[in-house]
Amino acid sequence: MGDNPADSVSRRSFVKYSGAAGVAGALAGCSSTGDGGDGSDGGDGSDGSDGSDGSDGSDGGDAPDEVIIGSNHPLSGALSNTGERMDQAVKLAAMLKNESGGVESLDGAELSVVSGDNEGAQELGGEVAQELIDEGASVLTGCYSSPVTSAATRTAESAGVPFVISVSVANSILQETELNYAYRPQPPADQMAIDHARLLAESIRDAGEEIETAGLFYIDISFGQSIRDALREELPANDIEIVAETAYEPGDTADTQVTSLRDADPDAVIATTYRSGTIELVNAMDNQDYRPDYLTGCSNAAMNDISALEEMGDTVEGGFATNFALDPTSDRAAEVRSRFESEFDSGFDANVAMTYAATEVIIAAIEEAGSADPEDINDALGGITVENHIAAMPPITFADNGENENALAPLFQIQDLEDRVVAPEEFAETDVQF
Amino acid sequence: MLSSFLPDACCREAAAGAPGAADPLGGLAALAGTVDATAAQAVLGISLPSPTIFAQYFVFAVLLGGIYGLVALGLTMIFGVMDVINFAHGALMVVAMYTVLVFSNATGLSPFFAIPFAVVLLFVLGVLIYRSTIAPIIDAPQENQLIVTFGVLLILISGVEMAFGSDPRQLGLELGSLNISGVFVPQGQLYALVIALVALTATWLFLQRTMLGRAIRGTADNRDGAQYVGIDVPRIDALTFGIGAALAGLAGGVIPLFQSFTPALGDQYLINAFVVVVLGGLGSFPGAFVGGLIIGFIQVFGSAYLDGSSYQILIFLAFILVLLVKPEGLLGGSADE
Repeated sequence: MGDNPADSVSRRSFVKYSGAAGVAGALAGCSSTGDGGDGSDGGDGSDGSDGSDGSDGSDGGDAPDEVIIGSNHPLSGALSNTGERMDQAVKLAAMLKNESGGVESLDGAELSVVSGDNEGAQELGGEVAQELIDEGASVLTGCYSSPVTSAATRTAESAGVPFVISVSVANSILQETELNYAYRPQPPADQMAIDHARLLAESIRDAGEEIETAGLFYIDISFGQSIRDALREELPANDIEIVAETAYEPGDTADTQVTSLRDADPDAVIATTYRSGTIELVNAMDNQDYRPDYLTGCSNAAMNDISALEEMGDTVEGGFATNFALDPTSDRAAEVRSRFESEFDSGFDANVAMTYAATEVIIAAIEEAGSADPEDINDALGGITVENHIAAMPPITFADNGENENALAPLFQIQDLEDRVVAPEEFAETDVQF
Repeated sequence: MLSSFLPDACCREAAAGAPGAADPLGGLAALAGTVDATAAQAVLGISLPSPTIFAQYFVFAVLLGGIYGLVALGLTMIFGVMDVINFAHGALMVVAMYTVLVFSNATGLSPFFAIPFAVVLLFVLGVLIYRSTIAPIIDAPQENQLIVTFGVLLILISGVEMAFGSDPRQLGLELGSLNISGVFVPQGQLYALVIALVALTATWLFLQRTMLGRAIRGTADNRDGAQYVGIDVPRIDALTFGIGAALAGLAGGVIPLFQSFTPALGDQYLINAFVVVVLGGLGSFPGAFVGGLIIGFIQVFGSAYLDGSSYQILIFLAFILVLLVKPEGLLGGSADE
């Protein structure tokens, strides 16, 4: 090194600023990827308090002219592609309700949607929820990324405003803390794992094939860990032994993980990641010429995304996936999908379908409550049964903890690079092929 | 700092990296094979991998370490000469990734032609960034430059996100792998490693054998002294920042050869690059590669044998250990010299 007397100072500075870089980078990563954070719930304080002022409250007397739904989704950042479409799904559900005459029990009051951008960042989940409440939202929905939803639901709880989760899978959101204003129509992580293990084993064995072992490939954040923990219980319960578990970090290749899986040689590789993780998994499998008997995804968005399936190509053909879904047997669901695609010129995937279904629940609750008051809507949500929805699951009704008692994640198979529902039978659009 | 580059250290490093890539088995599988797996298993109570699997991990560790070394090169150069910690390094990499994508799509040419274009573009961009943001405050406290480069990072990443969205992109090259006795060497990563070694050698030769390189090293050693002997320090700073950005461009340019990418990917590489730079020694090119290899080995073997992502704890333990035992970095000169 030179004789620059500043060197030692500079070195300390470098280390100091490298630490700052780590923190700032992590924060930047959180804000741009939405992958960061450990899920859990973090709560973010928030002031809560009133919040309920809403558009107009009111039960007796004059019906309000409009009821405001707050949509809290990632409209910028790494999750924005899906987040924007989820926001559009909320708007479309409100639009179709308005086109059909508005809220009947409120003398045709219109629904309006105010949107907030949480950027997929946990620290913004609660802040955006509070902003939406301050703008008069009587009920909220969101947020896609589990840590963000966790923060947002706790702010809504403090404010006494009901929150219907559009998409977020982590169990911890509703199952670690008792919340009285949060509801989740979609299957949470443990239900996803239950359905995946059961439907996968049944479908394969009913077809005369065998599945005895599995390897887990999961993204190492709360979303992936929740699914992993649940699969650890559900796979053995269905006579499938877990012979390998390998974690994936966003931004890495999946080379090492695929080598570990190759070494363990399971019958099925079960992937739980976001889109980029699944693409890396498939790339690494191609690089190492590795083909398990079954490549499956549990709560894996890439396996239900046509463009991602085309990108991954033949490697995923014949693979299985479990996720919430648009009901492929419903004509109304097909109409909604068609309207969405023509209205917004963008793809209607499972996340969008589930968000639309969550908004249908909100609308049904407002109709049931006959009020724009958050308390009345919350009471209605607690006892509601929504039969006429577009998701591939039985009628939606909530348990005391806010989870949907009838939540279901059907099994898909990738056939001709399209995701087709193959089980359970009542929602199947085609048969399993081997 | 840069004047402390050791020719022998550089050559040793280059020599150590090359055989690992060219002949991944290179005795490694045989070496692993000599271990009595059954006995070790009985004693340690752990399941040892087959020699082939062990060799596979070894290959991936070398390939990943080479990439980390390449990512750290530009960072260590800018800090070594200018004492500027360039937060925007990862963002510059991202610009290069998308440059390669756009160039390849627009021209239909192989991405290998796009990489030199990205390097030149990033050099120009680096000089522009330096002239417009760093130069006016080069004598201000280090915090000011840090904040400015962080601002540049935000502007660049936001711009890329607005232009290309945040969905992962990939070139779809399908370069395939070399299969050597059951050990796969992905060609994309192999090319990236070769490019990294060539970049290391070329930059080292430039610094050691050219007048301009000597001027850069002189400025790194003593900025005031360099000015006294007639070196145009502001020009050298601009050149250094440009070269640093070009090296970021090279690192960013090769990543699409083997990986899908998003605007957030640069930050993820940058965090480990900071660790690599400290491990290897500030301002030391060979140190960057040694640091990169250490991180590569910890990451690959750690993710293979430790739960979840706990290998990251090991990375930062190594980081702390080096700071305690050899604070100037493994190949850095002593601060007391």
